[in-house]
Amino acid sequence: MKKNPWRDYKLHGTVLILVIIAELIGTIEIPLTKDVAITIMPLIYTIILGLVFYLAKPIKWIERKQARIAEGAMMLFIGVLIAKLAVSSGQSIGLIFKMGPALILQELGHLATILVLPIALILGFKKEAIGMTNSIGREPNVAVVVDKFGFNSPESRGVFAIFIIGTVIGTIFISFLVTFSLSFLPLHPYAFAMASGVGSASMNAAAIGPTLAAFPGLETQIEAFAGFSNLLSFCVGIYIVIFVALPLTEKVYNWLEPKIGRDSIIPKKEDE
Amino acid sequence: MPDLIDGSENVSVHGIFNWIFLLAIFSIITVIGNFLGYKHPISGSLIGMGILSLITLAGVWLERYLPFNVSSILYISVIGILLAFPGMPTSDFVLYYVSQIELLAIVTVFLAYVGIGMGKSWDEFKALGWKAIVITILVIAATYYGAAIVAHIVLVLTGVPAV
Repeated sequence: MKKNPWRDYKLHGTVLILVIIAELIGTIEIPLTKDVAITIMPLIYTIILGLVFYLAKPIKWIERKQARIAEGAMMLFIGVLIAKLAVSSGQSIGLIFKMGPALILQELGHLATILVLPIALILGFKKEAIGMTNSIGREPNVAVVVDKFGFNSPESRGVFAIFIIGTVIGTIFISFLVTFSLSFLPLHPYAFAMASGVGSASMNAAAIGPTLAAFPGLETQIEAFAGFSNLLSFCVGIYIVIFVALPLTEKVYNWLEPKIGRDSIIPKKEDE
Repeated sequence: MPDLIDGSENVSVHGIFNWIFLLAIFSIITVIGNFLGYKHPISGSLIGMGILSLITLAGVWLERYLPFNVSSILYISVIGILLAFPGMPTSDFVLYYVSQIELLAIVTVFLAYVGIGMGKSWDEFKALGWKAIVITILVIAATYYGAAIVAHIVLVLTGVPAV
């Protein structure tokens, strides 16, 4: 890996082509009923095409090496995204202070993941379920679980599974989830904006897209809340996981497991 | 699987010249997308992306060279907020140019890199089975709805009008 990452013209050239294709196709709206439409945005095309280019056998110039460079470069490019959101936050700083209570309390809304624990038990997971349902399972959460239970524990296996699946389908899934929710749920526009800060930069990015499109004229405010909420998830969210979510998940597990736990599916074969 | 956590398998993007060139490439692609998708003129967008890249560079640099264990995301956020703060001498200039960059244009380019990068996890993903996929989907949905519903309730209780 002597070559500098910026010199990999195969990777950057491919990204440029994907972006040109995506922007030329533009946003597509598929009406479902009279008032409900699914919006498919260019950001969905680039993420899916990117994955397809990596997986497609005939495309030989995007291989593991390019994926690794892309992953490394991503860590830097997140900064540009954060900078843009921060500028919107700075511009609307007065509004952010006014909405302070909502911004802070919605961080506690992330505890709702524990509601998934009974379903994990019914599906046959054991202690893996603690790792799976204490949080959204992104990098900082993985670190917390591994730190507490050890690398080879069932809890860590659980959070690794969520991490990997979230990496592959999370971004695509959340953009469709948000699109549907915007049509069906009559929530406050700011609530949608704040909720998009789930604690993962790529999922945050994918969730803001449809939200911006749904509320034209509110771009700056939505960006400000989404950015600030993501910042909060980042600084405060991790402590909520350590001190509240993880202990609570364990308590619920110890209470529920004897009642609805099944025979473990894990020691046999993981893939059915 | 330790590479997932500490990023050791990533190509480490070190060195200020690597950062500058990568940010320049990212800026050019974004400006092209910003022009094709949103019809923003190229010259203004270039200055806007230049400002965002400088903020990023400053944040990444501070993370590396300041003795605190603080992520660049925090530095970048603080610098961005301060530069755009109402009344700051920089705010008019920064807002004028940065507002010409659509967030979606940045996101579209960023997610192209994410898409290529996540291909690396594909084999591990395939080995995991449908039950874990169901749980992941429910966990993401629960995070999102949990936050959205709490935020909505607090906004309504504190009397924020639905714009």
